[in-house]
Amino acid sequence: MSNPDAYIALISSLPGSERLFVAKQPPLSRLRLDRRLSALTPKDARVLKVLEHALNWSDYDMGVTDAQAIARCKDAVREIPQPTLRALFTARMDLRTAVAALRLRKQGGRPSTETFGLGRWSRHIPANWADPGFGLETVMPWLKEAKQLLDADDPLGLERLLLSVSHKQLKRHAARHLFDFEAVAIYVLIWNIFDRWAQSNAQDAAKRFEKMAHQAMAGAVEIDFEGART
Amino acid sequence: MNELVLTLGWLGIYAPMALGAAASAIGCSIAGMASIGAMTETDGGYGRFVGVSAFPSTMVIYGIVIMFTLNRDVTPENAGGLFGIGILSGIALMYCGIWQGRACAAAINATKEKPEIFGLALAPAAIIEGFGVFAFVFALVISAGIS
Repeated sequence: MSNPDAYIALISSLPGSERLFVAKQPPLSRLRLDRRLSALTPKDARVLKVLEHALNWSDYDMGVTDAQAIARCKDAVREIPQPTLRALFTARMDLRTAVAALRLRKQGGRPSTETFGLGRWSRHIPANWADPGFGLETVMPWLKEAKQLLDADDPLGLERLLLSVSHKQLKRHAARHLFDFEAVAIYVLIWNIFDRWAQSNAQDAAKRFEKMAHQAMAGAVEIDFEGART
Repeated sequence: MNELVLTLGWLGIYAPMALGAAASAIGCSIAGMASIGAMTETDGGYGRFVGVSAFPSTMVIYGIVIMFTLNRDVTPENAGGLFGIGILSGIALMYCGIWQGRACAAAINATKEKPEIFGLALAPAAIIEGFGVFAFVFALVISAGIS
């Protein structure tokens, strides 16, 4: 348990977040957030860095293997002393393992060993591979909806669902931590969710813009400019 | 043996004052840190934040009044009573002050986003103040029975 009053000024200086999926931007820029986080002790800053490094998809190379990702997460768990943050990290790994299993099964694959992914359900999932929800509907009630979205080829809907589940997990733990390091770490993880959703929209917009630009350019070659043809 | 008993009596007389001062110092610093943090994020209402962060300062005032009420010639007969009332009221004031500081910090943190809940957000701190007043008043009432 961290000192409950360790970061009163830091937490009070952070703006509250708007509702997820309503806010177009995170409540403050990463530059400003990093400036505020300079108040963390070196030890806590190190834990936060490890946590973010293991959880942020942008910190993973495209060519990273399952074994490398699992090793990174196992190393991270060892370096996180706070029980709440370990529980949050484990819950996120459980979520990712379940979604990865859904994706693998949709592609017609099977786990190559008796274990799959990381966390409490890594043995349970291969053992219940034929079950639509891997026998986890009671502990992960969102799994059914995730499967439906995956089957319907709705990646944005799936992303929205997974971010929403992660956000709820974080908010549940945030209620028990007001001004300690866990509260700071949870704020940063929620900030990352907002940022990811904002980026999802930006990426979506960029793809749409690119598609429209291609269509426009394809139409442009058909235009018969005066004097352009010989 | 008598010296020890008399020492405990003097300890009881000064304890509410000392523990009340510690409570106010810790509580005000907790709430004060929250108000400083909130000031960096808001554009106004600084006076309210500073005012709220001073709430736990009442604990030392209660402690001073209890100390003056208990203050008398310490004898082996009354030392036990002075010690019991002084120490226990001081501990009660200390807990009230620290937790009131935390409640004030939470209120400041909440009202920086939603100024309209300022009054309601102070309710927990006010309730804790009530518990401090209970400890204060009944220490005075009980102390009347000490010779």
